[in-house]
Amino acid sequence: MLKTFIRLLGDDARVFRRYLSMAIGYGLLCGLSICTLAPVLSALLAGDTAAAAQWLVLLVLSMAVCWAMRRRLDKAGVAVGVAVLQGGRQRIGDHVARLPLGWFTPENTARLNHVVTQGMMAVAQLPAHVFTPVVSGAVTPLVLVVALFMLHWPLAVIALLALPLLAWVQVYSARLGRRADQAYQRSAAEASQRMVEFAQAQAVLRAFTGGNSTRFLQQAIDQQHAAASRLIRMSATSAVLNLWLVQAVFAALLIAALVWMEGALTQASVIAVCVALLLVNRFIEPLLEVAGYGETLRGAGVQLEAVAEILAAQPLAEPVVGQAPVDASVELTDVHFSYGAGRPEVLQGVSLRLEPGSMTALVGASGSGKTTLVRLIARFFDASAGSVRVGGVDVRQMTAEQLAAQISQIFQDTYLFQGSIADNIRLGKPGASTAQVLEAACQAGVDEIIERLPQGLWTPVGEGGARLSGGERQRIAIARALIKDSPILLVDEATAALDAQNQAAISQTLAHLRGKRTLIVIAHQLSTVVMADQVLVLDQGRIVEQGTPAQLAEAQGRYAHYLAQRQAAKGWRIAAAQPVDEQGLT
Amino acid sequence: MSNQDASLPNGRAAVSQVLHPIRGRLTLAALLAGLGSMLALVPLAAIAHIANIALGAGESGWSQARGEVAWAVGASLACLLLGLLLMSVGEAIAHLADNHITRHLRLAITARLAQVPLGWFSARASGEVKQAMQDDIGTLHSLTAHFYTTAGRCVGAILISALYLFAIDWRMAIIALLPFPGFFLFFAKATKASGANMQDFVSRLTRINTAVVEFVHGIPVVKAFGATGKAHDSYREAVDEFSAAFTAFTRPLVGTMANANAMIAPVAVLGVVLVFGTLLVSLGWISALQVLPFAIVAPGISAPLMLLSYITHDLNNATGAAQRLHALLATPVLEQPAPEQQQLPSDGQVYVEHLSYGYDPQQPVLIDINLRLAPGTVTAIVGASGSGKSTLARLLLRFFDPDQGRITLGGVDLRHLDSRELYRRIGFVLQEVRLIHASISENIALGRPDASQQEIEAAARAANIHDCILRLPRGYQSVFGEDAQLSGGEQQRVSIARAVLLDPPLLVLDEATAAVDASSELAIAQALSAFAQGCTLLVIAHRLDTVMHADQIIVLEQGRIIEQGKHAQLLALGGRYARLWALGAYGQTSEQALPTC
Repeated sequence: MLKTFIRLLGDDARVFRRYLSMAIGYGLLCGLSICTLAPVLSALLAGDTAAAAQWLVLLVLSMAVCWAMRRRLDKAGVAVGVAVLQGGRQRIGDHVARLPLGWFTPENTARLNHVVTQGMMAVAQLPAHVFTPVVSGAVTPLVLVVALFMLHWPLAVIALLALPLLAWVQVYSARLGRRADQAYQRSAAEASQRMVEFAQAQAVLRAFTGGNSTRFLQQAIDQQHAAASRLIRMSATSAVLNLWLVQAVFAALLIAALVWMEGALTQASVIAVCVALLLVNRFIEPLLEVAGYGETLRGAGVQLEAVAEILAAQPLAEPVVGQAPVDASVELTDVHFSYGAGRPEVLQGVSLRLEPGSMTALVGASGSGKTTLVRLIARFFDASAGSVRVGGVDVRQMTAEQLAAQISQIFQDTYLFQGSIADNIRLGKPGASTAQVLEAACQAGVDEIIERLPQGLWTPVGEGGARLSGGERQRIAIARALIKDSPILLVDEATAALDAQNQAAISQTLAHLRGKRTLIVIAHQLSTVVMADQVLVLDQGRIVEQGTPAQLAEAQGRYAHYLAQRQAAKGWRIAAAQPVDEQGLT
Repeated sequence: MSNQDASLPNGRAAVSQVLHPIRGRLTLAALLAGLGSMLALVPLAAIAHIANIALGAGESGWSQARGEVAWAVGASLACLLLGLLLMSVGEAIAHLADNHITRHLRLAITARLAQVPLGWFSARASGEVKQAMQDDIGTLHSLTAHFYTTAGRCVGAILISALYLFAIDWRMAIIALLPFPGFFLFFAKATKASGANMQDFVSRLTRINTAVVEFVHGIPVVKAFGATGKAHDSYREAVDEFSAAFTAFTRPLVGTMANANAMIAPVAVLGVVLVFGTLLVSLGWISALQVLPFAIVAPGISAPLMLLSYITHDLNNATGAAQRLHALLATPVLEQPAPEQQQLPSDGQVYVEHLSYGYDPQQPVLIDINLRLAPGTVTAIVGASGSGKSTLARLLLRFFDPDQGRITLGGVDLRHLDSRELYRRIGFVLQEVRLIHASISENIALGRPDASQQEIEAAARAANIHDCILRLPRGYQSVFGEDAQLSGGEQQRVSIARAVLLDPPLLVLDEATAAVDASSELAIAQALSAFAQGCTLLVIAHRLDTVMHADQIIVLEQGRIIEQGKHAQLLALGGRYARLWALGAYGQTSEQALPTC
């Protein structure tokens, strides 16, 4: 936990170390000041007010120092909080900016969002509200043990032996709690999944299950309830264990003091026992306080684990000085890839070469590896084995900027930034003139959107493009890719062609750029496939056929089969009711 | 939604309404915790008592005092034990009550949301529902499970300490407790200072949250364009601005709060007690022995007091959550007809009459739509994206009710039809396929849990998916999302099998084959063609050629029907439909594709 905290703080870790040493110092000083109560009370009970007054001067002085130190400590704690909110957030930002595109799955994005907003706020509160009482509460008793030694060593020995025992129980019960916590988190995640499903599939659930649309969710809620009951039993046990153990130590010290009192013969030694009991009381109280923070600390541990997980994601290695690509070719040599160790290989030894200015159509059933292949070219991930070369240079030998300059993509998610339509298109080419923006807009079919909107090109798109429809956002994203005008263009037709207008925009783009750019298209439309210079047919992660559309059509292989299916699907008509249409496929 | 704002209760009222079912248990838990913490303090009083006996007895009376001391220790330890027991029971009651209310609220929300208009869900991210049902209710946990018992414990401890000290000597008690009102003085000053800056701080908080969302979602896009610097810069700026705002916001607080904390630190309280104790002893107002209880008990008040002020943070978070939950539980539901209003459709005729609808009243999506679906006919709706096609289909499925006009099925207004009756008659296959995290068998039989295996398989065969299912690891028992990995097209066919099993006389197809690969598209097309025979069909198509043989084609533009007729009529008209047909280049495709066949 501390390790993650220090890693999160990076260069600011010294702020944290300073704070920590101050907290320890504060705890020590508090302990020392409290120790002066022994001589003060001894003198007072013995009736020597003058001696008590002398010690009181020391006590008041150390109180003043404690006060001043507490002020500085609290300020240092806030400084750590600010370091988390500023430095920590920046560090996470810097780290994430270097992660491969493939990392940005919806789950990771959601987690990142949570960690940077709520997570960082919670972590920033820790020093001032949790660490200070816990650290000083753990240090103060240590000082009191020393004082007890001077009064009556058996008490001190009991107190000293109790400390490691208490620490062990605290750690052990936290571990027990963590296991139940994990089981609970699993059932909570399942219930969350059901809740999302309940919302997303509500129409289906309601229409198909009559009055009983809540069955699945109810089960999940009941399971979470049961897991929570187990967790409560567990954490209640550990809380009780901690609390009772501290009190048991207190009872042991009380009885030991009593035994000591039995043998006390003089007034002075009875006073010593009474003073010792006061010290025992001061020894126990901070420990009770620390025991009470157990659950809060566990919660903080969960937040910091989420941070650690993000920081543990490895950025792709990049050279300091990259090699510049020499042309617009793409070459894959014996590429293998799987999404994580132990998962099946999505690509199993793919080799291919795409000449500059050629157009290639990728064809294959879903799950055949088309999307993965295109993503490897854009270096969403690195291949598990083999090499991917863009412009003659291995992508691992290029900087992210060099590679990005080489490639445009029409398949990435269509997130739009706050700002106008023009701003969003210009993102592809920051220095572009308005004329260039308009040209790209026309090519992508955005002109039709602009005409409809009163503010035209300068219409704000809203957060994430919320004011536009999915198809409209997609077309703006296409315009953004087009204005970039890079030598290689990657297109996923299936996800980009949301509607007829988008399809038309893509077809026009491909026809327009054919021969001028290296085009790689995950083809969905027959018209696209036949336009290509070469067709690659993928099946289960392998290239099974390769050639011009005409060659493959004659080969009677998978492509020919695909064509036949395509043709049949194209010919599919919903028949008019009467008369039954002979073109219907039934 | 306007009535929602009006009915939104203030924080405290929302909390009390949401927690109403467990109010009694929480009160009991707080009382037990308070009583327990009082009893747990008895040993401290016992220490003072023992000192009194031991020192008061003198060397001669010690043997007699011995018994009394032993009794005091025994009694105080018994009290401690009982106190701990009560506190633990209180905690357990609170946690169990929390677990109970958590389940109760989740089920209540589930039940409520199962009745709201379906359109409510499309206007919201599913994450929002999860946020409310899981995260907001989770936030309440700190309130129900911890706040009341902690408050009970703290109040109990503070109360009994103060009473005890006053009982010993009121003058000394006032002095010893003096730092604590001082704490509240500082605390109130800090709260006031923060209140002044709160508005600004909250607006900064919103701004940074927006910047984070944009950064997190935008960075893949920006990276793809090699302009990593840009989105990153605005994120960096927002982070720096926020931390500046945070520093400005906390600076006046830190000093004040540090003073408050330092003031009630055990050291400070002990110092005050000893200094003034010595003074009063030297003045002869009290005896030295009387100082002891103050030195023992007074410093112990600071910990519960600090805890009490810290847990009010939780209270603030929880009130926000309670307000959101309260609003969610008050979401207007789709009105179900009263039993006496319910009617049964006489036939399968569907009439749409003068229908207007808008998600936002300012921007109508559909305007004055009139339409008839005759039994056994095929009606197609075409138009650009955003023209209102899908909305029309969803109104027919009663995802929402029209703003004006009405839809009738067999002469009955949809609003007078029980939803079970409605969905028995209208089936649908939408572009967005939704399978449930359950076995394939359960997914197909969702509408008829009593269907036999033969019926399920027959439906799967009709939907062209039977062979595919048999290839799964556990066949029909494979669980979707676990061992049943299905492509988009395969999922679509499972959802068709679902509709087949229900066999409704009226079927709505919304772009059912968009965005699936070629082999799937053919299989889906075949499945639908077989299924649609004899049905009344409403088809929303993005590819015009699939619906060119429909009995009537409706062309929508900006929410209005602008053309209506058969394919040939509309082409001859040379209007919007003809232009869309030309844009789709359907003729061109077949010319290009044919030679390669």
